[in-house]
Amino acid sequence: MDAATQPILKMTGISKSFGGLRALMDVDLELYPNEILAIVGDNGAGKSTLIKVLTGVYQADEGSIEVEGEKASLNSRRDSIDAGIAAVYQNLGLVDTLAAPANVFLGAEPIRKVMGLPFIDNAKMKTDAIRILKERVGVEFPDIDEPTRNFSGGQRQAVAIARAVNGTDLKVLVMDEPTAALGPEETKNTLNLIRTVKERGTPIILISHNLDHVFEVADRVQVMRGGKKAGVVEIAKSTKKDVLGMIVGTGIATDAVA
Amino acid sequence: MTGPTTNTSVPSKIADRKVALPWYQQYINIVGPMAMILALALTMAIAQPRFFEFQNLMIILQDAAIFMVLGTAMTIVITGKGIDLSIGAVAVLSAIIMGMLIKDHNWPTLLAMIVALLVGVSCGVANGLVITKLKVPDLLATLAMDQVYRGIALVLAAGAVLARFPEPIPTLGRGRLFDLIPTAAIVGLIALAIGYILYNYTWLGRYAVAIGSSREAAVQTGINIDRQKIYQYALMGLCAAIAGILLTGRLNAIQATAGMGFALHTIAAVVVGGTVLFGGKGSMFGTLVGVLLLAMVTNALVLLHFQFFWQLIAAGVIIISSIGFYSYLQSSGSGDSRSDE
Repeated sequence: MDAATQPILKMTGISKSFGGLRALMDVDLELYPNEILAIVGDNGAGKSTLIKVLTGVYQADEGSIEVEGEKASLNSRRDSIDAGIAAVYQNLGLVDTLAAPANVFLGAEPIRKVMGLPFIDNAKMKTDAIRILKERVGVEFPDIDEPTRNFSGGQRQAVAIARAVNGTDLKVLVMDEPTAALGPEETKNTLNLIRTVKERGTPIILISHNLDHVFEVADRVQVMRGGKKAGVVEIAKSTKKDVLGMIVGTGIATDAVA
Repeated sequence: MTGPTTNTSVPSKIADRKVALPWYQQYINIVGPMAMILALALTMAIAQPRFFEFQNLMIILQDAAIFMVLGTAMTIVITGKGIDLSIGAVAVLSAIIMGMLIKDHNWPTLLAMIVALLVGVSCGVANGLVITKLKVPDLLATLAMDQVYRGIALVLAAGAVLARFPEPIPTLGRGRLFDLIPTAAIVGLIALAIGYILYNYTWLGRYAVAIGSSREAAVQTGINIDRQKIYQYALMGLCAAIAGILLTGRLNAIQATAGMGFALHTIAAVVVGGTVLFGGKGSMFGTLVGVLLLAMVTNALVLLHFQFFWQLIAAGVIIISSIGFYSYLQSSGSGDSRSDE
């Protein structure tokens, strides 16, 4: 990482307990512009808790979060969205009976006033959705007016990403297990989408349990273990074995892992 | 950030579409009831040609009018995975209060009508609050509230029949525009037209679809579900009050026991018109078709000298067969697999 580059997102000393269970203990996270940071770890390692703190679903007991160097207090999902943190959840959150444009703009529909009354501008929505899908996500649909339930897994993923990156002041995109429920072909498409979104300027935090996918798209990987940050490695300078070792706790191997 | 929109690579086409729907299944929601109307018309052409006389067709429109108004809001409520069984009682309560203000307290007619609309909206908001804040399921909440509103109407009216109302109430209920088209049907069609716009061009309809189709998706995009549901039920209450005024004008009388079958008849028309009973998808045009179909069936039974009770049986059978038919289509892989909760 370029030493001169400032992190776009900085989480410092995050701790979170649920009753007696200490889910996160003094966890740091830094995300730099133009990178994909993968978060990996075993079940219960704290990766989803960390992400829920970031997306405002949970509030940290201790620690601070800075977005572009400014302290952010994320007390709700809405706060987090307003701070520029978008999320694509594992279930994608699409309304299957609506077409792609309506899904891309769901909850943020462009409005046209007619006699002072607000009406949804369906035409603008469609043009803008096509543009966002093309420019930010890098896909074109032949049949954008169809309900998204008729779309494939990869297409649905693209629509969900388009909605996430559509935020006016987007700074970070969080993706939770985007490839978990996909077949090989759709997985390939989705990994391409993720790469494209990064190339077009949005840094991504990618939660995944699949090291193959992580090594295919990520720049760095942060390993979580037992609610703590077990370490961060650069993909280019490490192997899956190293990361696996960190996940299961056999220590950070420098040259050999049993 | 607006993001770098400099676009070097060619957008990839993801062509792996899942299923192409057969053409007829995309339009089945409209084609189905249309075909039923056609079949009914053919039967009547043979059995009783008087069915097609202009005056009879106008009677059908007159009968359909109240359900056009009720169906407008019910389409949105059902799309949002809700249901309102209290609309008959809301209509009657609004009308009784309006009638008492006019007959017993000499209020100006228009003011009393406005009060009726406010009563309707208030009942709707109350339904919405019970459903969202007390977390009572829509079906049970409105079933219980139906008793409450009906009870209040019965207490207020104390068995009386209020009759002979001043204009414009009789004209609205049973008048004819240019001595031809029932005024009530004009009101009904205007309601449906406004409903069409609300459904397709405002957040009211859009968020009803979102909530009905995937509540979780609606939450994740920051839609305030409780507020939307309250709006939906408030609109339902408003439409019920309008129906109450039309009902009063139609007989130029109102009593607290009127409007008993409103809810089931309206739900039947909406569902026959292709609005999915379990939410997420609906059609205002389909509701118009459904309302007309039910009114035609009722009228046909009268013309063919069936007893009134047969109308009830026919309505019930149509509801069951329509819902059964759509359920069959969905389970047979027509792709109406709505997302989970």
